[in-house]
Amino acid sequence: MSRQLTFNIFRFNPEDPNSEPHTDTFVLEETPSLTLFIALNKIREEQDPSLMFDFACRMAICGSCGMVVNGRPGLACKTLTTELPDEITLMPLPVFRLVGDLSVDTGTWFRQTNTKIESWIHDDQEFDPTAVEERMENDLANSIFELERCIECGCCVASCGTANMREDFVGAFALNRISRFIMDPRDKRKDPEYFEVVGTDQGIFGCMGLLACEDVCPRELPLQDQLGILRRKMAFVGLKNIFKPKEKGRQRRF
Amino acid sequence: MSSSVDTAIFVKPPTMVSAYLDWLQMLTGAGLILFMWSHMVLVASVNLGANVMNTIAHFFEATYMAQVGGPIIAATMLVHFVLAARKIPYTSEAQGVIWRHARMLHHTDTWLWLIQALTAMVILIMGSVHIWTVLTNLPITAAKSAARVQGGFWGVFYLILLPMVELHVGIGFYRIAVKWGFIKRSGRKKFHRFENIWTGVFILIGLITIIRLWTLPI
Ligand code: HEM
Ligand code: SF4
Ligand code: SF4
Ligand code: FES
Repeated sequence: MSRQLTFNIFRFNPEDPNSEPHTDTFVLEETPSLTLFIALNKIREEQDPSLMFDFACRMAICGSCGMVVNGRPGLACKTLTTELPDEITLMPLPVFRLVGDLSVDTGTWFRQTNTKIESWIHDDQEFDPTAVEERMENDLANSIFELERCIECGCCVASCGTANMREDFVGAFALNRISRFIMDPRDKRKDPEYFEVVGTDQGIFGCMGLLACEDVCPRELPLQDQLGILRRKMAFVGLKNIFKPKEKGRQRRF
Repeated sequence: MSSSVDTAIFVKPPTMVSAYLDWLQMLTGAGLILFMWSHMVLVASVNLGANVMNTIAHFFEATYMAQVGGPIIAATMLVHFVLAARKIPYTSEAQGVIWRHARMLHHTDTWLWLIQALTAMVILIMGSVHIWTVLTNLPITAAKSAARVQGGFWGVFYLILLPMVELHVGIGFYRIAVKWGFIKRSGRKKFHRFENIWTGVFILIGLITIIRLWTLPI
């Protein structure tokens, strides 16, 4: 006999002045290979057409279906109900602006954060569209790609105690992203320039090493290792600066 | 023309202060860990006999290591506290956020951080009281320590302080290892288990030591 699943789902529509935050309960029979994404669609089709949630790719690529599943941020499309108990509680991701019910606006946050850390290749050379693309060692390309697999789902940010407490903390996502540019020889930024964007208490030195990001990332990015490498790297940039003779005209203090 | 107006009020120049403070936070933490381990060895020496402890204590006082080292440790603790306290949420709103967050996430490492922040407050007060009491009552002897513990008040005092310190030290040790990347993803589980056992063993040695002091004939 298949299980009866009970879904407790957070409901609130900030646009509607009469809406109060509460949870609604829906019961659904478990079917083979049921994911939360399919379950939510069923509930919306059969029980409550007003239920709000996001999805697009339904294959863990677009990063839009992040939500808190029984306390843990994860992707609805990647979560099979067989991994969960009979009672399933779904909440929207914290930190991000709530659109309604399970839908949050991760886009604005990621855009702002990407701007803050200057998340693009910095290169002052004129782009020549006819030139042959520069070559890169395969191993290096692979290790950059490993970090590039981030789908900006926001689970790491939502699970991070620091990000929850401090609005200006850039989160594991951004620190991983900077690591990716540090590896990339096409980015001409030097260590002090990277330091300027992440060598702060809003960046790597704000991270308290709670490692929730590492434990929830649905793409299993090596966040713990990257955060460690980045902390050491930035800490040594700071240390080197103490022993460097002061350059004239440089604005850096201390 | 140069003037004495501090332009940094209006345009924040890049600074490296965050990096220095993070180094200091880690190094004071690591220094205190090393001290606490040595401290445990010194105090637990009473289990080998009151004479052993007395001899060691005498050595540290005769060389003035206790008189100089004690205040240095206290100062290190103070610096460490000021640095680490930057991470503890100060407003009741943020405290509520991290509390609800930890309850929602049921994630061990997040709870461990909360334990670290809470034990820190207890250590700040009880640790200071303990340092003051010991350093203003030199020399350290097994008989005096035993008398204190047997008085009851200090016995209970140490029974509380011991697990607080060991938890804070154990978690801090683990945290430094993962934050600074000494322990990689592949080694995290194993290191965590090692750290739990290590903390357990220290609490056990501490308990045995307190019992020994409680039963030491004076
Ligand atoms: C005076 C009272 C103390 C307070 C208020 C305090 C507070 C804290 C806090 C809040 C943290 C977390 C910092 C973070 O997540 O970055 C921390 C970390 C730590 N504490 Fe303490 N602590 C105190 C005393 C001690 C003592 C006595 C020791 C050692 C015997 C110690 C060892 C450590 C270590 C090793 C860390 C990890 C450092 C790091 O993450 O960089 N603390 N402390
Ligand atoms: S690092 Fe992982 S959890 Fe964070 S946004 Fe990227 S894919 Fe999502
Ligand atoms: S290690 Fe912890 S504090 Fe640092 S980014 Fe990850 S979840 Fe946040
Ligand atoms: S729907 Fe695209 S990641 Fe889940």
